[in-house]
Amino acid sequence: MRFEEELVELLPRLRRFARGLARHASDADDLCQAAIERALKSQDQWQAGTRLDSWMYRITRNLWIDERRAAGRRGVHAPIDESVTQIAGDGAAEVEAGALRGDVGGAMARLPDEQREVVLLILVEGYAYREAADILDVPIGTVTSRLARGRETLMHLLGEAA
Amino acid sequence: MSFDPATVAAFVDGELDDLTARRIERDAVSDPALAAEIARHHALKAELAAHYAPIVAEPVPERLRALLIPRAAVDTSLAARREAKRMRFGPVHWGAIAASLVFGLTLGLQPWMPAASVGEANGTIVAAGPLARALDMQLASTQPSNTPIRIGLSFKDSAGRYCRSFESRSLNGIGCRDGDGWYLERTMAGQSGTVYRQAASGELAAAAAAMMKGEPLDAISEKAARDTGWTRR
Repeated sequence: MRFEEELVELLPRLRRFARGLARHASDADDLCQAAIERALKSQDQWQAGTRLDSWMYRITRNLWIDERRAAGRRGVHAPIDESVTQIAGDGAAEVEAGALRGDVGGAMARLPDEQREVVLLILVEGYAYREAADILDVPIGTVTSRLARGRETLMHLLGEAA
Repeated sequence: MSFDPATVAAFVDGELDDLTARRIERDAVSDPALAAEIARHHALKAELAAHYAPIVAEPVPERLRALLIPRAAVDTSLAARREAKRMRFGPVHWGAIAASLVFGLTLGLQPWMPAASVGEANGTIVAAGPLARALDMQLASTQPSNTPIRIGLSFKDSAGRYCRSFESRSLNGIGCRDGDGWYLERTMAGQSGTVYRQAASGELAAAAAAMMKGEPLDAISEKAARDTGWTRR
């Protein structure tokens, strides 16, 4: 199958991943567009026979990180949602259990970026720990610990109490 | 509960070896705490899946598809483009195509705008009039949103020339600066409606990507290039 055709088939899933990262639909599609353009330009760096989806997820995720960093440098504190300030990891425990019951988007927005991307890759996109570690270019132990923390926070906020 | 939380999570994620997985399954039958922990993980996964699933079902926006299958994206103008392509290889027709493009542009843009947005030089179509002015002066970063000629990407091609993609109601294309003029290296029918606008942008972007050497110019280098008259360096 042609590179472009494979990419087209991947688009619905890639949009889901981008939406999980960027949250707002238009931002997410901008991110997808940038990722596709980057992929088309770097096509020769993709090795046929390896998984195109992992490669695309990596490109998308790295563009997103670049964008977040650039926004930080410009002094723009780009919150995932205007009405939500991010509560990093442990701070979430102070919020009442089940405070965001039913609001998956709101709960995800409260996760630090590095936990949210792991949750998306493994719990939403269904990647194995090893595959997620490759996409994110971090050790597998980092993936499992971020996943555990992200998961606990989500369960707490969404009221999946132990 | 006889398993630590990480193992239970790994079980739910399908990351355990078969033997351990079977032990957990068996123990869960007689260990309510373990069963509850597994259920809690499944509930979270189900909730996440339900939240994100509708996105996969949404139709993919045309602007994204068009980046990858530009030809399928604009079916309606296929005949027009096929004809344009045929004519591109026939030097005899340059006058005719130039004339029809002038006609098209005049139709598409404000009627009071002077015609002759394209002309002919050395058997090639070059930008003239408002189009040449837009390619000369207009910056993508500062152009108004309702501009009749919209500049897209500016970049250098493999010959070191500055090239710029543009869109207007009747003509889209890419002009490359050579000597005094903007040679129209790519032309395609403009989109008089807004429906196909994104598809056309995708097609142009793909054409630009194919011609581009290095990265497209950012706002600062675009302005610098304009201020030095788009001369090759």
